[in-house]
Amino acid sequence: MEFFTEILSFFTFSEPNVKVVFWGSLILCSISGLVGTFTLLRKRSLIGDVISHAVLPGIALAFIIGQQKNPLYLIIGATITGWISTYLVDYITKHSKIKNDTAIALILSVFFGVGVLLLTHIQHSGNASQSGLDQFIFGRASAMNMSDVWLFSIVGTIIVILIVIFFRGLSLLSFDENYSQSIGFPNELLKLVLSITTVTTVAMGVQAVGVVLMSALLITPAACAKFWTNKIIPMAILAVVISGASGVLGSAISYTYNGMPTGPWIVVVVSLFAFISAFIGSKNGLLKKHLQRNKNNTKILRENTIKLFFNPTTLGETRYNFEDIFAKSKMQRATLKKGLNLLKSDKLITVSNGIFTTTNLGIEEAKTIVRKHRLWELYISRFMHLQPDHVHDDAEGIEHVITPEIERELEKELDFPTKDPHDSDIPY
Amino acid sequence: MKPSVETHNLTVIYDKKPAIWNIDFTLPTGKIIGIMGPNGSGKSTLLKAIMGIIEPNIGYSKLFDQDLEDVRNKVSYVPQRQSVDWDFPASVWDVVAMGRYATKGLFKRLSKEDHRMIEESLNKVNMTPFTNRQISQLSGGQQQRVFLARALAQNADLYLMDEPFVGVDAATEQAIINLLKSMRDEGKTLLVVHHDLHTAQDYFEHMVLLNSRLVAEGPTSEVFTKDILTETYGGTLTTLSKVASVLQEKDFPMRHK
Repeated sequence: MEFFTEILSFFTFSEPNVKVVFWGSLILCSISGLVGTFTLLRKRSLIGDVISHAVLPGIALAFIIGQQKNPLYLIIGATITGWISTYLVDYITKHSKIKNDTAIALILSVFFGVGVLLLTHIQHSGNASQSGLDQFIFGRASAMNMSDVWLFSIVGTIIVILIVIFFRGLSLLSFDENYSQSIGFPNELLKLVLSITTVTTVAMGVQAVGVVLMSALLITPAACAKFWTNKIIPMAILAVVISGASGVLGSAISYTYNGMPTGPWIVVVVSLFAFISAFIGSKNGLLKKHLQRNKNNTKILRENTIKLFFNPTTLGETRYNFEDIFAKSKMQRATLKKGLNLLKSDKLITVSNGIFTTTNLGIEEAKTIVRKHRLWELYISRFMHLQPDHVHDDAEGIEHVITPEIERELEKELDFPTKDPHDSDIPY
Repeated sequence: MKPSVETHNLTVIYDKKPAIWNIDFTLPTGKIIGIMGPNGSGKSTLLKAIMGIIEPNIGYSKLFDQDLEDVRNKVSYVPQRQSVDWDFPASVWDVVAMGRYATKGLFKRLSKEDHRMIEESLNKVNMTPFTNRQISQLSGGQQQRVFLARALAQNADLYLMDEPFVGVDAATEQAIINLLKSMRDEGKTLLVVHHDLHTAQDYFEHMVLLNSRLVAEGPTSEVFTKDILTETYGGTLTTLSKVASVLQEKDFPMRHK
């Protein structure tokens, strides 16, 4: 409870610095959601990781040269080394036998290593204004001040304008680079726009999230958004909303617990969004898949149980007590009971004094499933050239898949057959 | 009549080794022209070099007697279907609309006329019912039709198509060839990378036979012969590939300044 009142007090802006943290994280994270959409669609996710680690030496160098924590200098320094790192990865991949993933690992660790070295050097140099520089590793939104926020808004606005202006070109570049080139779009310019906006976004974002986790903020919101929509503009907007919300929530939590770094909290929140999206996202969500599987299993159980009531001689009503039907089935007791309950609730059978009797509906259902089974057996024995003793198992599975439309097609294609490959009647 | 495509000593080097070597030919207009050759013979590379997607290391090509830049809006390129990720967030309409970007450029809005051309192109490949379908939900044949519709929306005079018949069902293959023939009848030129020898003779009036080097070029009746096919498909020239290997290993330049 106390936790929520604390969080709530963040959003009332009761402390002046809270406003700075709020706007700072909102701007930084929203932009990275937008830029990250293209990073993801161009399958350059790992490049985001390289850039974020490679900005560290830039920040340190900018401090060494400027001898102060001027945000503009730091961003410029970060942008320069970040940009050099992507250039090097592309250069190495293109001009040597080293593959892209190796180049990424190589450049990432070299730049990060140098960055940590430089930071350590600065810390030992005894410059008082260096305090807080090491927070770039995990991010600390509360270290921002109003002039940072102004800088972020100006640079952020430029980034958004660039992406909106070039949206058509950037989308085409991400989907089909060769075609984009073939119709004369300036691919090199578009790539430059993307790399400049990505590097600048990362260079600013490390303030809130830190170099280690920045790539998560770049990629995860876009990956979340892709679970919900299949159109690029809604995807970009949703990514911005998700990352903006994660940024604000994450910094609120870390602000409430003074001393906690912001980056991990933002990433925890955005990962939560990712988790939720993966489970219930309207497209390809795991929940949807799970529900579908459950539905299938119920259908299979229901059809397998009613099949037990099929009467091959009269094609009519059947009566069984539980033990008889259990002996016929190859199911577990509990499963069979569940199946019988399904039939009962669908009014395919009635029960009185422990005797299960098929209804007219049940008789039809039993006939239908047996018919589908035997039609399929005939179909595969004819078109897959299988021996009659090899077709049963396949039909056990496929009988549940055959829709009424497919059934009609089967009948037509097999010319309304009356006998299955085992010479049993196909019940109509 | 102006030739559609002319190449002069076109050479593209991948990893220090020539992928296509001294390709030199002049192709007629208003024909369906097949580019045939075994796997790795440089068919796709040739198309990309003509289309400026790959900068040739040596040589140049001309389209309708002009540089590519001057006739770009008259030329349309259909990449290999597998070269893009079909899980991209776009609908069939979105992809076909890209064909109009060729004239609209980066910024101009699509007009009513553009919308009409997009619809017409979709109709020509029988994809109208799928206009709003997500491209990830299409079959291979449908994906290929979408790519063709995008090219049609460009309303070009010359079409360069990379393997449009790969991985499509028989019905789509027939639909595509009928479409190509009707385009030819309108005076368009179609340059099609293909590798199925069985259908080649029926599909193409003119052929380029390629195996890193140009083996033959001419009307199908003249070049689709046993000898030429053996030369095209009968493996690489031993000496030529030895020279290529030395070039690669020793890092020799192909030409001296």
